[in-house]
Formats: sequence, structure tokens, C-alpha cells
Amino acid sequence: MDASPPRGTGMPGADRDPDRSRTVVVTGLGAVSPLGWSLESLWEGLRAGRTAVGPFDRFDHTGHRTHIAAQVDLALEPRRARGKPRRISAADRFAVAAARSAVARAGLDPRDRCERTGMYFGSTTGGMLETEAYLSTLLASASGRLRPPAASLLASQQNNGPADAVARELGIGGPVQTVSAACASGAMAIGDAIQAVRRGEVDVAIAGGSDALCRLTYAGFNALRAVDERPCRPFRADRAGLSLGEGAAALVLEPLERAMARGARPLALAAGEAATCDAHHMTSPHPEGHGAAAAIRAALSDARLDPEAIDFVNAHGTGTPLNDAAECAALVAVFGDRTADLPVTSTKALVGHLLGSAGALEAVATILCLLHGEVHPMPDDGQPDPGLPLRLILGRPLRLERARHALSTSLGFGGANAALVFTRLGDPDLAG
Amino acid sequence: MRAEAVVTGLGTIGPFGQGREALARALAAGKPAVAEVDRRAGVHRETGARLAGLVRDRDLSRWIAPAAGRRMCFPSKLAVAAARMALAEAGLDAADTGASRLGVYLSTTFGAGLFTELLLKQVFLEGAETAQPFYFSECVANAPAAQLAIAVGARGPNMMLTQRESGPILAVARAAQAVREGRVDRALAGAVEEVTPLLHALLDRFGALALPSSGRAEMPRPFDRRRDGFLAGEGATVLVLEREDAARARGARALARIGWSGAGFDSTAGVSDWGDGHAPLAAALRAGLDEVPGGVAGIGAVVSGASGTRRGDLLEARVLRASWSGDPLPPLLVPKAVTGEYGGGILAPALLALEGASFGPTPGFAEIDPEVDVAPHSGAAQPAPERVLLTGLASGGGAAWLVLERAS
Amino acid sequence: MSESPAIRSRIKQVIVDALHLEGLVPQEIGDDAPLFGEGLGLDSVDALELVVALEKEFGVRIQSHEVGKEAFASVSALAAFIDGRLAAPGYRNAGS
Repeated sequence: MDASPPRGTGMPGADRDPDRSRTVVVTGLGAVSPLGWSLESLWEGLRAGRTAVGPFDRFDHTGHRTHIAAQVDLALEPRRARGKPRRISAADRFAVAAARSAVARAGLDPRDRCERTGMYFGSTTGGMLETEAYLSTLLASASGRLRPPAASLLASQQNNGPADAVARELGIGGPVQTVSAACASGAMAIGDAIQAVRRGEVDVAIAGGSDALCRLTYAGFNALRAVDERPCRPFRADRAGLSLGEGAAALVLEPLERAMARGARPLALAAGEAATCDAHHMTSPHPEGHGAAAAIRAALSDARLDPEAIDFVNAHGTGTPLNDAAECAALVAVFGDRTADLPVTSTKALVGHLLGSAGALEAVATILCLLHGEVHPMPDDGQPDPGLPLRLILGRPLRLERARHALSTSLGFGGANAALVFTRLGDPDLAG
Repeated sequence: MRAEAVVTGLGTIGPFGQGREALARALAAGKPAVAEVDRRAGVHRETGARLAGLVRDRDLSRWIAPAAGRRMCFPSKLAVAAARMALAEAGLDAADTGASRLGVYLSTTFGAGLFTELLLKQVFLEGAETAQPFYFSECVANAPAAQLAIAVGARGPNMMLTQRESGPILAVARAAQAVREGRVDRALAGAVEEVTPLLHALLDRFGALALPSSGRAEMPRPFDRRRDGFLAGEGATVLVLEREDAARARGARALARIGWSGAGFDSTAGVSDWGDGHAPLAAALRAGLDEVPGGVAGIGAVVSGASGTRRGDLLEARVLRASWSGDPLPPLLVPKAVTGEYGGGILAPALLALEGASFGPTPGFAEIDPEVDVAPHSGAAQPAPERVLLTGLASGGGAAWLVLERAS
Repeated sequence: MSESPAIRSRIKQVIVDALHLEGLVPQEIGDDAPLFGEGLGLDSVDALELVVALEKEFGVRIQSHEVGKEAFASVSALAAFIDGRLAAPGYRNAGS
């Protein structure tokens, strides 16, 4: 462990910022994904390496180039969130279910000193799905064909919708913020939450993200020809694009001392975080992954860990030709020769790209892998790209009982990058 | 000893024009610059709102070369232009800050309204294959922040917050934290919004906007008895933030020091409305102000995020009165009565207030509402405040506050 | 069949309009000047935007693997490509 002041966090001189004194732990997890509405179903699907990307019916996609996505089964929603049905979006419902689950696992009642509980969430489209339906009807009404739809359908349109829905549902009184940083939103939200807990802004942070499939992103990524007709195959030689997915994930973060004092058993240490920007191009990553490498190095530095300490990587791994190459370049830049031995997986191969909640869902997946001592596989579909010197975990999980530290990366559209480092603390039965 | 963050540059564009002088003139005159919204698409209500605070002069070529801006949506252009304006005032070339040490912290409510609308229209009316890549790459809410990063080479953290009316304050607070904690050396922080005809029509259908009524022009009436909604406004404000000691060392003028900031949430709020939870919000605000030198008595003026909504203004008044515990409130400046809601928020007017800019009588206010029981600024001359409190209560429940103080 | 100057002229107009190349007169684009990388310096997103615009203008369908390759190297190359599409029997407006 590096005892000198952290590199890359810009701490002036040798002063330790007193705001860094609190160790942040994860005490609860929750997820709603195309693999199911529970954490158990998520882990079961991840372990099995079974992709949830396939035919979907959330909206009409004839006329698009692709016809698959990873969809949450709405019929399986366990208990409807409060709120008038028309005012609460699918993304809101995912968020509420995930957050409820995380908070229950953490053994917390958020109403307890609610002003000291905050929310740090990510979303890229909020209630866009419902807004599209509204807009379609409105446009038809302008031509006189239909009556204008009720404006209340738009209530939860903006990206702050999911986090606000959770805050209202759980009675939260502390800071509530939603960040929109495209694919890096969820990870940046967790990073913000870690900072907030460290500096004492809150005692409990619920961090995560939520996004639902919608026509805008489906059409948009297809317009960029970034979507594969087949389920995505990250880091493979014949990879041809991403697969879209939807869902939400939530983590409960608190200071270690507080968690111990109330008898909670932490699942993982939220050891390090960092965010950077490529400032290179609106849709393509920096080809050598400079911004991503900087984020990874800074997160490691923040965690006071050397690259050698990382036992596996949950990569951003979208399956687009450019992302995977850039991300590999970033990993090689940081891990050097070790890269070829470092287990790498991508949750997107199984649940698709959840956009604003991707980073959060992948953080949950990373922690589950640590707890279970296994790196979940990707479906064994296609040869690894010989130009990318990575150790891909395919077909079956990799047993890594001694895994202690893991890295999760997110490389966002528009160039925002985020990296998170988690350290195992708990046992599997705490997660399940 | 804690590092302090100061503002060393301000860039602002809105219905009032471009730059701080144009804003100062509008605030002094106490008149909103309004324009008729284009209702030809037929999605507006017949009897609905017709006016908005629109950026009339959309020529930003002084700040963005046409080649550089050719793929930018209007919010991206606004953000880049405002940022360059702020950097110029700060006496900084973008290259002066190591790229990895410059962060971007912006906020928006609706993102790229026009491009989103156009893309969806293509999908709905012409077919998925007509969807234009140009539109989509700008449709993500963080497009302005990403474009700004490319324009000035900012490789530090890049964050776009979406928290409605609290967003601008949260963005500045986050940027200040990053500067103080040494995560970045400098930050560009602010807010951006565009108001399209469709967005205006939707806000109106939602009942959010001030309405015309017989014999009376539609007008936002903050805290007034007859208030019935806000004026939608577009624009952008960007501030340059850096450490106070670094600013002094390079001889830069600090426009303000970032003081206490706080945030909370009123879970009694409806999805798109303000709630009744003023007591916990006031407790949070009061606890924060008690940490400020002089406490509430040290606040020379409140720069309020009120905008003329029935429940938003009521909540704001209750929170302030409870925080001041019955003591008289300082002057209540309401810039959104002039600039409209959204746009660059109240950030630029707050800096001008600290500098002693004169604010005219609050437009639209004529009669106290007994339930609200506060009167906004009358236009009477005031000494320049030492310290101002910015407030941002968001529909849906978010709340944020920020103290700015003079950094002589 | 060699393509007509009219097609090249239309392509140049589409390039200027679709890619918002303000201030560039279509005739100033050389027939054989490189469009991507150097020359006009267009990038991958410009290529995709151009595809949408060309599909609309000429009623042809351009497959993903064709984008950005030799067919897109210059106005002349594009003209030959489109001309070939228009001439192919039954190809016009074929579905995906």
C-alpha cells in the first residue's frame, strides 16, 4: 500500500485533507435489470453467463436496423411504487424498487434522521419513454386527428425523475442530485456519493442510476450505427456494436464507523473513485484511452492501491469497435504486461448497456463478484480480438476466492470517464 | 486551514442580451425582455401563455467560429460562449490551466430541446432511417458540458447536473468543493437552457406558466397575490472558479468568495410541484446560516430563486421566514422576474448584486399575498451587501442554497 | 454508364447543407478532393450524417459496411457509387 500522499488527486503538499478521514463502505445493494427485479436473479443470470439481450416489445421498432434489446419484464414488478400511475415513469419504478431493496438490505429506515440521508443518482433519459408517447399523441392532435393528451403524463419527464421518485418514496431529506453524464452517469453518481460521505455531507448516501429503453436512444444509437444486430460481444474480433438495456441499481454507502456502530455488516469498501473527460470527440473515445487511463490511475490513487492490487476488472465493454479498443489501450497503459493475466468481464454482454444506470449496475455486479469469489463470465460468443491482449472470462465464471480489490470502469458518450475501486469485506450470504 | 474558492470570471447570455452590462441594465430597469413564441406548429393552447424570455441575438460567432460550432445545438453554443466570456474576464486562456486540472460542472433542466424534438419527429413521422446522427450526439443532456470540454480542453471531471431549479446552485457548489479539495485547480460552473416553442407549449399545458388575462398582459408576479406561473427563459451563465490563494497570486480579481452551501429535499412535494415541508428545509438553511459570520444577520440580501409560481413562492417565503425566525428579512431580490425561469439561473444576478448593482422594482409585484406575507425588493437603493444568499427550491422536492460573499 | 455532372453537383450541395459547412460554396469542393481525414476533414459522424442525407436525396439505401470506405473517398467516388445504385435494376428504395 502506498503510504505517501495520493498521486493524481491534486492534494497540495503533504497535507492530508481532513475531509478524507472517513472510510466509506457499502452496506446495501439493489438492482432491477433485464435479468429480473431482484439481486438474486441478477447474480444467477450473471453467473450463468446468460444474455438477456433478445426480442423486445417496449415500443415499435420496425424500420430500425436492429430489433433486439435487453428489456425488464414489467409484469414481474413486485410491489408498485406509490404515485399516480400516469405520473410515474418506468425509470422511476425501476429506481424505487432498486433503492427499496438496497435500503432494506442495509437494514435502514431512511425516515430515521432523513435530513442526513442523500441521493446521488444518474440518468440519461428519465421519463423519456412516456414523453415520447405523449409527444406522438400531441403531434397527431395538432393535425386535428386526436384530442391533446393530458399534460400530467409529462410530470416525470426530466432526468431527475427517478432520484426524486425514490426520495419522495423513502422520505429522504438530505441532498438529492441527479447527474447526466451519458454512459458514465451511474459511476459518477457513486463517485459523488463517496465524496459526500467522506466529507460528512451526509451519513447515508443512496447512490445509483436508472434508465428505461426509449425510442430516442434506440433510434439515436442506431443512427450512429453503433448497435449490433446480434447481442453485443465485447472485446471480440467480430464485435459490431452495443446492445441497449434498461434498469436501475442502488448502493447504500455510509461511513465505516457508523455502519459498525449500528451493527450493520459492510459488504465492500468503496475504496476509490475518479472522473475525467477525454475532451476529444462527442461520440468517439480517445483512441489511446488517455482519459480512461487517467481516471483509472486516479481511482487507484484515491484508493491508495497500486495497479498490482487489482484482481479483476468489470470493464465498460460496450462491444463497439472503438470503445473496446480504446478501453483496452487504457488498461494496458495502467496495468502494463499484467494486462494479459488480469481477468476482464463486461456485464453489458448479459444485460446490455443500461446507459445512465450502467455504471451503477456494474458496480453492483462487481461487488457481487467480490462477495461470491467469482468473476461472472460473458457468453462465449465469438473469438477474442487477437489485437486486444486481454484475459476475457467467457462461458463459465472464474473462481477467485482470494479476490480482494476490483476495478469498474465507465467510458461515457461525450468523453466523460469514471472509475471505481471496490474492496471485498463481507460474505455472500450478506448479499443474498 | 481550509482552501477557499473564488469566482474570477462571469459569462452570461439571456433574453437581456450578451454579457454582464446588458444584464445589469435589465435588472436596473426591472423589466423582463419578452418575445412572442412561435405558435405556428399548432401545439399551443388557444388561451395559453404566449411569451417567453428568448435569446434574440443568436449570433455567437464572436465566441465560436462557425466551423467549430457547426454541429453544436444551441445550448452547447450558449455554454461555450458563456464560458469563453467568463475565461476572458478571468484573464485566462483555456491553456493556462493544465487540461486535467480544469473541471466542468453545469446544470440543465431539459437539455437539448430542439434537437430531441427534431429527432423524435423524424422517428415518428418519417421513419427510423431518417434519424440524424448530428441530432442524437447533441441530445444527451451532457452535450453542452462535453462540447465545452472539447472547446477549452478541459480534461478534469465533467458533470452535468439535472435538478431543475436547484441545478445551478448545486453545480456551483460541487465545483467549489472540487476546487477547495484540490480535485481540480479551476472549474467552469453554471447553467444552460433553451426554450423551444414545443417546450413552451408543454410548460403551458402543464399549468406552469404565467397567463394572459383580460386587460392584463401575462407576467410573472413573484410573491404577488395574483401570481399564476413563471416566465420561461433561456440562456446560459458560466463562472470561473479557482482557489483564492492562487487567484491572488496571479493578480486576478475575485468577484466573490463561495461560502456555505447546503442542499435538502422536501419529500412532501408532488412530482412536478412544490410541497409543504418548509420546516425541515428551514431547519437545514438556518443551521447552515448559523455557521456563516454574523448568521442570518450577516446576509445583506437574498437572491431568490422564486419565479412567480403559486406554491413555489409560498414555500420559499415560508422557508425564509422560518429561517429568520420572525426577524425582518433582508431585501429579497428576484432576478427571475426579469430573466425568466431556467436559462442561467440566478448566478449572474447574484454576482452583480454583490458588486452593488442596482435592482429596479420587482416587475409584476403589486400586492402582498397574506398567505405568503413577504414583499420582494421595491427598487429602493441599497448599499452593496457584504454577503448574499442564493436560494433554489425545485419543483419535485429538491432544494439548494449558496452563500456568496465579497472577496475584497 | 458514367455519372452525370448533375449528380456530382447535387452531392456537393448535400454535403454543404447536411454538414452545416457554412461559407463553403458547393462548387469549391473539388471532385476528387479527399472528404475525410484530410481535405475537408470530415469525421465518422459526418459520414453517418451524410449517409442519411444522401439516402433521402437520392432514394438509395447505403449499408453500414459501405460507409466511410472507398465509395466515400471523394465526390467523384460517391457519384459513381450512387449512380451504380440508381442504375441497378429494382434496387431503388430496397428495404434493409
